[in-house]
Amino acid sequence: MLIRQSAGPGSGNGPALPELHRRLKWLALIGIGALVVLVGRLWQLQVMRGESYYERTVSNVVKERYLPSVRGKILDRKGVALADNRPAFNIYAVPKQLTKVLELELVRMLGLSDDEIAKIDERLEIGRKRDARTPIAILEDQGRDRAALIEQSLARLPGVEIRHEPYRFYPAGDLAAHLIGYMTQMTAAEADRLGNQGYDASELVGRYGLEDKWENYLRGKKGIERFAVDARGQRLDEATASALIQGEHGVPAVPGANLVLTIDAELQALAEKAVSHVNAAGVVVVEPKTGKIRAIVSRPSFNPNVMTGHLTQAEETMLKQDPRKPFIDKALRMTYPPASIFKFVTAIAALEDGQAAEDENMICTGQYQLSGTVFSCHGTHGKVNLLQAIQHSCDTYFWKLAERVGLDRIAQVATEYGLGRPTNLGLNGDASGRIPTKDWYDKTSRYKIGYAANAAIGQGDVEVTVLQMAMAYAALANGGTLYVPQVVDRLEAHDGHVITSYEPQVAKLVKTPTSLVEIWKRGMWKVSNEAGGTAFEHGHVDLVNVMGKTGSAEVKKHHKDGGEKDVERWNPNAAHAWFAGWAPAEDPEIAIVVLVEHGGAGGTVAWPIAKQIIEGYFTKIRNPPLVRPAAPAKGAKP
Amino acid sequence: MRGTGMLLPRAAIGVSRWRRFRAAVDWPLILVILALCTLGLLNLYSATRGVRHHAKFDTQVQWMVVGVIGFALATIVDYRAMVRVAWPGLGVAIALLLIARVLGRPSSGDTHGITYRWLNIGGMGIQPSELAKLMVILVLARIFQDTEPSSYTPRALLGRLAILAVPICLIAMQPDLGTAILLGLIVLSVGFLAMPSVWPMVHVTLACLLSIPILWETMHDYQQKRIVGFIDCGIAPTKECWHTQQSIYAVGSGKIWGKGFLEGTQNQFNFVPEHWTDFPYSVWAEEWGFVGSVVLLAIFGFLLVWILNVALSARDRIGAVICAGVAAMTFWHVVVNVAMVLGIAPVVGVTLPFISYGGSSLVTFFLAMGLVANVSLRKHGY
Repeated sequence: MLIRQSAGPGSGNGPALPELHRRLKWLALIGIGALVVLVGRLWQLQVMRGESYYERTVSNVVKERYLPSVRGKILDRKGVALADNRPAFNIYAVPKQLTKVLELELVRMLGLSDDEIAKIDERLEIGRKRDARTPIAILEDQGRDRAALIEQSLARLPGVEIRHEPYRFYPAGDLAAHLIGYMTQMTAAEADRLGNQGYDASELVGRYGLEDKWENYLRGKKGIERFAVDARGQRLDEATASALIQGEHGVPAVPGANLVLTIDAELQALAEKAVSHVNAAGVVVVEPKTGKIRAIVSRPSFNPNVMTGHLTQAEETMLKQDPRKPFIDKALRMTYPPASIFKFVTAIAALEDGQAAEDENMICTGQYQLSGTVFSCHGTHGKVNLLQAIQHSCDTYFWKLAERVGLDRIAQVATEYGLGRPTNLGLNGDASGRIPTKDWYDKTSRYKIGYAANAAIGQGDVEVTVLQMAMAYAALANGGTLYVPQVVDRLEAHDGHVITSYEPQVAKLVKTPTSLVEIWKRGMWKVSNEAGGTAFEHGHVDLVNVMGKTGSAEVKKHHKDGGEKDVERWNPNAAHAWFAGWAPAEDPEIAIVVLVEHGGAGGTVAWPIAKQIIEGYFTKIRNPPLVRPAAPAKGAKP
Repeated sequence: MRGTGMLLPRAAIGVSRWRRFRAAVDWPLILVILALCTLGLLNLYSATRGVRHHAKFDTQVQWMVVGVIGFALATIVDYRAMVRVAWPGLGVAIALLLIARVLGRPSSGDTHGITYRWLNIGGMGIQPSELAKLMVILVLARIFQDTEPSSYTPRALLGRLAILAVPICLIAMQPDLGTAILLGLIVLSVGFLAMPSVWPMVHVTLACLLSIPILWETMHDYQQKRIVGFIDCGIAPTKECWHTQQSIYAVGSGKIWGKGFLEGTQNQFNFVPEHWTDFPYSVWAEEWGFVGSVVLLAIFGFLLVWILNVALSARDRIGAVICAGVAAMTFWHVVVNVAMVLGIAPVVGVTLPFISYGGSSLVTFFLAMGLVANVSLRKHGY
């Protein structure tokens, strides 16, 4: 025992401090108590929870950083890049270190705009929430001069760094913008959600079109780099880091897959040029034998390079306020009354039922009375047979047919051709449109025979998309196979080997007998090849035989004063101009549907556009190009 | 019986003076101090290995030399002579505290504005509060030297204890709450050990506890934050709270055997700030684990037992009370510092004896241990 029970020598009479002796056991109790508390706490921290604290200290020191993967390209069928990557300077900052003072310094140095400052603040906010010590991109795609300015003053800007990273770039500008889409910064909510899937808060994500839909294939797989830092976030040297990092030092990034489209960039450009003089239009060019889309246009367009990270508040507001709605895909999201190009449905319904014949004559007086309502045809066509009614687009003839077959038969045939339901292209909110039936009317008001008359000429409540019509006309052209439209031909790895090749997909085989469809086709022939045809009157293609049908869809005149001032020549009360057809007539290579929103009459507005595209296709795109003049058209039968 | 203050005792006839002295010196005490200093330097070497702080190791060694000289002086001069001048000594300490108050300079690294802890004497910063601790211990020895019951009447005690409250208040106003509380704890502890009846001390203790709310009101914002932050990091996430959290990670991550000398990542990469002054135990615990941490506590435990042993065998009341005071000071320093590192006490600037970096603390403990050695030496008749 250490404590000797003896008084000091010399005192002789008992201990020097008897109180201490008396209270020794209390003292021991307090001492042991303190020891137990401290050792107990040590046991708790080091033995019981040691492992988890150990991991905490490792994660204090060893940090992970994502290595960006190069995003897959989007290529046209011939390998022309529509979406690519280029090197860019991105400015990163550690939110914890970027104080207000530093931010002001940065603002002053680079001369940042208010928009840019707001963006930086927003990024920093997101960054602080996630991990204030991890650098976050505050400004993307900065010019060489800004990068150089920062590079020079890095010593004065702790936590700021410049990274040279791939950045999304659309070499063709606004070409096929709706199809390709664009990328934007994630919202705070997305950042929370996608954070678990390995996205950085500052990353761009596909926001529209293929960029959105094929995001998972395009983005590839990010790599991981592990490195060690001290408490200030300064990187430690390689030797120290190696000792601290257990296991792999990183995983290399896997580049995203390239998307090869069925689109022909040249034809796409040609089609976009053909509609460049109108305010708003949708065009679809499709290969009837496969359902592969060769061009798909929605006008007005936008520049995805601007949308991807460079959109200013002012531009965004302007785009959003445009009455032509640039962000809505006119080819497949917006629905329109199809007007006369819908008449094939009425004709086939009547022919199938034996309620119509090719040579049956009817009289068009310009007006038609049906259960008390007077319908006005757009002309007085006199005595016409079915083919002439198609040729001149006489409405009266089809009202009479509608009276015979009724609304539901029309709806049935329309549905057979895929109208009124999404085409399953699966992009940009592929709309269904509407094919009304008696039941549908009974739900809202009461069905009247007048509704059938409206539907017969593709007016009233009938609404379709341009793409639906293109697929339906492709089915008419190819003898009855309704395809699912296809824009992606194959997925290729970055080294060029094919990952998946997509085959044409048949939606259904249309049941209509070919002989009946042939009657409709003979009518179409007249439209584009015979005098008096609604298309022929406004131009003729000599190079190749074209089959066509025009349409002029009247719109509800609810806009009081025609032009909304900000868009020139934009008259929301004007009819939608349609053209639908294919060429060559004998062996169709392309089917084409053109819609000009509020453009006017189909023959005068839509047909010349289609004509330009068809001629362009056969002289410039097709391999080999056609040079023979078209056979004399008159009287020839397809 | 009174000491002569000389090295030659009357009973030295016939035996070599040196051999007698050697036999009387308290070697175990010196060995324990030596062990603690060695571990302290080892730990400091690891804690300050970063280039920026490397000079701290050399400085600490220099202070150790000063400390050893101080130890020798505190051993040689008879403690009874020292206690005779305890009151004037305390007066000097109070005066220095007041001077520091007037001439005080901001202590380096303290972001809470100007504090008045340091006095600059000949280019060296010294803390008068450390001197005050020693003087308070000596004064306590003087107060409790009498065996006459009349010395312990409330009236007789109250006045003298009230004087002790002066340095405590001055230190609290520096503001250095940790040292003030520590000084209070020393006074209370010695009172409990040396008073014939514990009841007056129980009353004083209760009074202190009851005055906590008043104390709270007079505390600085940052002091309140430290305490609230200690109770729950979520309420007031302060710098100290983060320190405590990182300190807990450091200690816990040592697991049973520790990460090894120089291998503590929390320490080497500065996650526990200022770990060489207030948090050296977290450095130690991270690198040497549970086993090393308990060993270090055991060494302190042995030191305390040894000091008490000297107190029990002291030749007079004065010596016993001095030892009790030094034991109390050491005990509270160790307990408060380790508890703070382990996250069971708020962060207050209390050092770990012989392990913490810093001249004032080191020299103070050398002097205090010198007093113990003094008492130990003189029970052999010197």
